[in-house]
Amino acid sequence: MSSIVIDTSASRKVKELLRFLLDSGKIDAAVTMRKIPENNSYDLTLITDAPDLDEAVPVIPVMTVNAGQVLSSISTSGKKIAAVLKPCELRAFVELVKREQGSFENLLTISYTCGGVFPLELVKEGQIEELLPKYDKTISKGEVPINTRDTCRACEHFIPMNADITVSVSGECESGKGCVMYLNTEKAEEFTEGFGGERSEQKFDPSLFQKTLDARLAEKGKLFASITKDGPGLDGLLDLFGKCVGCHGCNSVCPICYCLLCDFESANFDYNLPYFEEYLSRRGALRLPPDTIFFHMGRLTHMSFSCVGCGMCSDVCPVGIPVAAVFKKTGEKTAALFDYVPGRDVEESIPVMVYKEEELSDIG
Amino acid sequence: MKNKKNSVLVLGAGIAGIQASLDLAEMGVEVHLVEDTPTIGGRMPQLDKTFPTNDCSMCILAPKMSECVRHPLITLHIMSSLKDISGTPGNFICSVIERAKYVDPVKCVSCGLCEEKCPVKIEDEFDVGLRKTKAISRYFLQSIPSEYTINKDHCLYLTKGVCKLCSKVCPTGAINYEDTDKEIELNVGAVILATGIDPFDPIGFGQFGYHRYKNVVTSLEFERMLSASGPFGGHVERASDGLPPKRLAFIQCVGSRDISIDRNYCSSACCMFAIKQSIIAKEHNKELEATIFYMDIRAFGKDFDKYYDKAENWYGVQFKRSKISEIKELPDGSLDLKYTYENGDIQYETFDMVVLSIGLQPRAGSRGLSEDLDIRLNRFEFCRTDTFHPLETSREGVFVCGAMSGPKDIPESVISASGAVANAVKYLELERYDPSVGSEDIKEKDVTGDRPRIGVFVCHCGINIAGVVDVKDVAEFASHLENVEHSEDVMYACSTDCLETIKQRIEEHDLNRVVVAACTPRTHEPLFRDTISEAGLNPYLFEMANIRDQCSWAHMNEPEMATGKSRDLVEMGVSKARGLVPLLRLPINIDPEALVIGGGLSGMTSALAIGDAGHDVYLIEREDVLGGNMRDIFFNFDGTDPQQFLAETIEKVENHDRIRVLPGSTIEEITGFVGNFRTAFKDSTGKREELTHGAVIVATGGNEHETEEYLYGSSSRVVTQKEFERMLHEEEFPPGKLKEVVMVQCVGSREEGRMYCSRVCCSKAVKNALELRKRKSRVNIYFAYRDIRTYGFAEEYYSELRDRGALFFRYTLENKPEVEKIRPDDPDSRIRVTVFDPVLEKDVVIDADLLVLATAIDAPEENLELAKMLKVPLNSDGLFLEAHVKLRPVDFATEGIFVCGLAHGPKDMSESIAQAKAAGSRALTFLKKKSILAEGTICEVRTDRCSGCGYCEEVCAYTAIEVDPEEGVAVVNDALCKGCGACVSTCRCGALDLRGFTNGQLFSVFDSLEIEASEGIR
Amino acid sequence: MKKEFTPRITSFLCKWCTYTGADLAGTARLQYPTSIIPIQVMCSSRVDPVFLIKAFLSGSDGVLIGGCHPGDCHYETGNYHARRRFAIVKSVFESLGLESQRLKLSWISASEGPKFARVANEYTEEIMELGENPTRKNIFL
Repeated sequence: MSSIVIDTSASRKVKELLRFLLDSGKIDAAVTMRKIPENNSYDLTLITDAPDLDEAVPVIPVMTVNAGQVLSSISTSGKKIAAVLKPCELRAFVELVKREQGSFENLLTISYTCGGVFPLELVKEGQIEELLPKYDKTISKGEVPINTRDTCRACEHFIPMNADITVSVSGECESGKGCVMYLNTEKAEEFTEGFGGERSEQKFDPSLFQKTLDARLAEKGKLFASITKDGPGLDGLLDLFGKCVGCHGCNSVCPICYCLLCDFESANFDYNLPYFEEYLSRRGALRLPPDTIFFHMGRLTHMSFSCVGCGMCSDVCPVGIPVAAVFKKTGEKTAALFDYVPGRDVEESIPVMVYKEEELSDIG
Repeated sequence: MKNKKNSVLVLGAGIAGIQASLDLAEMGVEVHLVEDTPTIGGRMPQLDKTFPTNDCSMCILAPKMSECVRHPLITLHIMSSLKDISGTPGNFICSVIERAKYVDPVKCVSCGLCEEKCPVKIEDEFDVGLRKTKAISRYFLQSIPSEYTINKDHCLYLTKGVCKLCSKVCPTGAINYEDTDKEIELNVGAVILATGIDPFDPIGFGQFGYHRYKNVVTSLEFERMLSASGPFGGHVERASDGLPPKRLAFIQCVGSRDISIDRNYCSSACCMFAIKQSIIAKEHNKELEATIFYMDIRAFGKDFDKYYDKAENWYGVQFKRSKISEIKELPDGSLDLKYTYENGDIQYETFDMVVLSIGLQPRAGSRGLSEDLDIRLNRFEFCRTDTFHPLETSREGVFVCGAMSGPKDIPESVISASGAVANAVKYLELERYDPSVGSEDIKEKDVTGDRPRIGVFVCHCGINIAGVVDVKDVAEFASHLENVEHSEDVMYACSTDCLETIKQRIEEHDLNRVVVAACTPRTHEPLFRDTISEAGLNPYLFEMANIRDQCSWAHMNEPEMATGKSRDLVEMGVSKARGLVPLLRLPINIDPEALVIGGGLSGMTSALAIGDAGHDVYLIEREDVLGGNMRDIFFNFDGTDPQQFLAETIEKVENHDRIRVLPGSTIEEITGFVGNFRTAFKDSTGKREELTHGAVIVATGGNEHETEEYLYGSSSRVVTQKEFERMLHEEEFPPGKLKEVVMVQCVGSREEGRMYCSRVCCSKAVKNALELRKRKSRVNIYFAYRDIRTYGFAEEYYSELRDRGALFFRYTLENKPEVEKIRPDDPDSRIRVTVFDPVLEKDVVIDADLLVLATAIDAPEENLELAKMLKVPLNSDGLFLEAHVKLRPVDFATEGIFVCGLAHGPKDMSESIAQAKAAGSRALTFLKKKSILAEGTICEVRTDRCSGCGYCEEVCAYTAIEVDPEEGVAVVNDALCKGCGACVSTCRCGALDLRGFTNGQLFSVFDSLEIEASEGIR
Repeated sequence: MKKEFTPRITSFLCKWCTYTGADLAGTARLQYPTSIIPIQVMCSSRVDPVFLIKAFLSGSDGVLIGGCHPGDCHYETGNYHARRRFAIVKSVFESLGLESQRLKLSWISASEGPKFARVANEYTEEIMELGENPTRKNIFL
């Protein structure tokens, strides 16, 4: 597999590629981040006409929605699509494909070594532009940018897994040197045939990111320690989720929560009158809305092992619960039980769908 | 035949008798199951675990036992014996003696007060004398039927005319000392004998010191010691000092393979039994060291060698091929064993306990029974059968199954039972019947939309519950619960008059849900369901609270707490009942035809079994001719002629008006499910055709392994056993003299790539060697072998061969025989075989005129494709994997599909015939029904909630739920769903639910638990 | 010193093995505390992870799942799935700093009446050590 040397900025090169793909008819549509000129903000856009690519910024530390989640519904349309995805978005999509919620068949995936994204509250009024120079500089030094999402800072999976094309935007390419676009699959070779730029045989070298990885792991340690700072037991649980207003925003932005209707929002868990009475007769009071902690714990058992740590949930939480950090921490534990890494391999079975006869011998 | 009866008598209610009865009953046959002891179950309940899966024996048997006792077409005659059979096949008169039980089973509520008060302690037969029981007792705690009986030889009143304590304490007046033996006559079409075996009794078998030395026990005694429900609660201890043994010795072949006591046969199961016991003992106590002293390890069954390997290499069980010459008891009760290795080395070793792996022998009284019933026995007094009629006695219409005709393991017994049924069916007048007819007769009250009106009945069970729990208080408490319209306490909820009361109350109070708080739903739920059904309620509108087995009996010293718990359990029951809805068991149509895949001996036998029962059969065969591997078999030990039998079978199949033979055909697609399969195939001309059928039998056979070892293929003097057999038949041997013949066993078997024993090769080689001797008496025959596995009656021929001078050299995998051509460039050169002789401890060199290789049996590669089409599993060796290795040996987990013959695993012709008949018979249990009823407790899908993620499909063991690729939502196949709920709990979208155990119902159950804080709420 | 209290252990018992084993314990009159509150389910795999959480949050001092030994499942593979799900819930508990000892899974066969009684006794003792479930006195759940 070959690679393409990038003679301009990574984002611009990817945009050129998307334009080439659209123009040559190799794809019907592109999914990429785009700048909204009207309000100086960003969004994720599905583009079918090449001129609309003008405002596209494929590589930008902003995630308005986990693109894996939206790809789920459009990847099976039968149209050929190229999507620029952050590594965690791609991993989320892999998790969804395992659950029959999407398909790689007509999809060309382009991903890049991600420096993390800024919280949505900063994505307005041109703030990102102000932050970008420092952000770029920090990641090129293999350090962790401040102000990014806490789970981004703690993310060790910033190198894309399973992308057709990997763009290396940090580590080896400081402003002077060219970044490289690695073609990882036959599909990538096929799609980029006829696309200009210098070709090389250079291989992606993860060791260049060792410093970044170390820094991220250190951040992760700090993050995980921070969420149990109030000690174990029920108090810690109340401290974490006590503020929850039950809006369920976290599950609606979660890429892994693909259910048509979340079970916890369904009538299955509606409180009927006898139950209220029953409960009140025992406790004398009931917090409203009820079952907020139950909801979070239930969701942890449902999907934590597939959590990609994208941070959307924390970002939308109106009361500042570190949902993403809790899920990432718990998810790493639950996934580790089965030596599972979410999004690593589309052939890897979801832990609760399979079993081994000899395992978990300490149980039972 | 006129006057054919639609009933069968089955003698013996062990696993074979139970299986035969269930199969017959499922075909609509009336069954009389006659059993000598007071319970059904036979030997299996005595076992702790079963090999090679370490399954709990009682766990797998208990559901079959209760199915058997509940089946409306099965009549149990316990404590009964068969005295005589008269009449003609198809119309027999059987005279049966039912011995006096002295307890009226209708009145007995199994409360156990009688046993408690009975002053007479006697040895417990079930626990092989390791504990005491009473003169009035149950055979064992989980006996079925559960009613008590009196042992008349020990009862004080019946022997001495004093006592009568039991009748004084019996709360229901069930004791009847006046009871007498009764003789009844049963008119049946056929008889199946399944009287089983006895363990060999080593008393008087002086050398091993059984009964003289306290710490020498039989394997059956040891099994009871290992059992959690046994006399020591699963803690093995020495009789001498009560200490747990650390060094354990197993001595194999006690009462087997022993000419001196006229037991020149192999008991077939004891090697595996000892391996199992050594593993279980080591699991109980990691420190324990186990040593097995043996002649050959006969791990010839499916996955047995892997188990053997696991015992040796994983658990560290020691295997010592040696003979025990002496056992001495030491002062501390330990035992000093003197044993001799094959090279003559004598060793001494001390053990804490010695287990004698006792063999299996015909049941006491076999001779008498055979005379009474006019059937012939073989020389060891097992029932006589022949290779091609393994399930037929010498008397027409009387069949045999289980170990009565020779030592058998559990799956072989089950197979033979189902197989015998296929034979019996021919003598019966059987119509297809519709189980759903009749169920509509009861008019069910429509309760949809009605407010729950719950009736609660709290049972005293004499003093079983009321002696501990304040039953009146519980009933009073229940009466105040939401939706409870009526609550009362009753003396015996299960008594006939109380059942009437329940029906009356349903009427009086217009109840639409019923809760009974009594014993366990396991035994009594069906009874109460029937009762409310009779009163017009859907049987699923019933819930039980177990306040006896799991409350009053378990908390006898805490009456207040037990009453509190009973309240909780009743409240939980009421909560569940509130949410119950009527469930329907929908009929699923069954097509009467069957498809048999494979036209070898097994396939043809299955086809005949089904065809003879009046069903159309499609017999599909890839090759242009029928016969499969059997075309290469020419001899049998018992002198029967395989080729003649094959020719007759092919003729029967080809001329059968119910069987359509499809030679030269290949299957392209199989879809559908039980009762409704659709198969597309291409016939020999390439034309595509579709068949519809209700069942599938997989009989795709096996292949002879193509070896490259031992110069095979490069020398005319190296042949396989199969080729050698044809040589013998055609009497065409290699040119020149034939003086030295070497046979190498286990070529390709029991080593990397094929970690299994091919089972038939030892017997086949012995058979061919004897045939060779018949033709060329002066030839020298040498065997290079690893273990000689001539199990069962083939052992006799093995010893005959040894007596006739054949020489045997045991080799190991590390030290295989070496072969070379004496003249390397000559394909006809004689072969120089070098084999290490462990007896002489040196190499032996033989210049062989012929080298015969016992090559392995391979699973055909095509199995994989077929397995995918049928959605059934293969094991790691590529063999079809049955639903359960012990109790469902011809079924797949997916209903309506069955397996037999080599497709299931290596086996000989006799075993293939039995299994093929069994597969036919199992298929008939479906085909004889016009429809089957789906379970009521099955999964349902809320399609509006389903995202089609496929979690459910993946976890379902029965392929009962699949995501429809068009709709993208899961669809349940009612016919296949078993109602376990594995899919429901894996569905995170809440799109699935299990009828009768819905999420809502279960939530309400545990949410209704009264849990109050002991301190203030914050 | 922990205050004496009566633990409540919500116990989901599979119909074929553990429920039968529990009956056998009763039949053999083996004694264990009233803390064990049995709920029959068809298979240990029927126990949805959220049942455990709900029971815990509703104040159960312990939640017990009883199933057939691995390999023995009446439904072929149900207990293997149950085991994985249980491991996940336990891990969630641990990660949140909750007392994961309040959840227990035990393989108890139909013939292991004594084991059922032993597990009931030992688990009750363990829960007694642990004390009352703090969720009992909390309205914030």
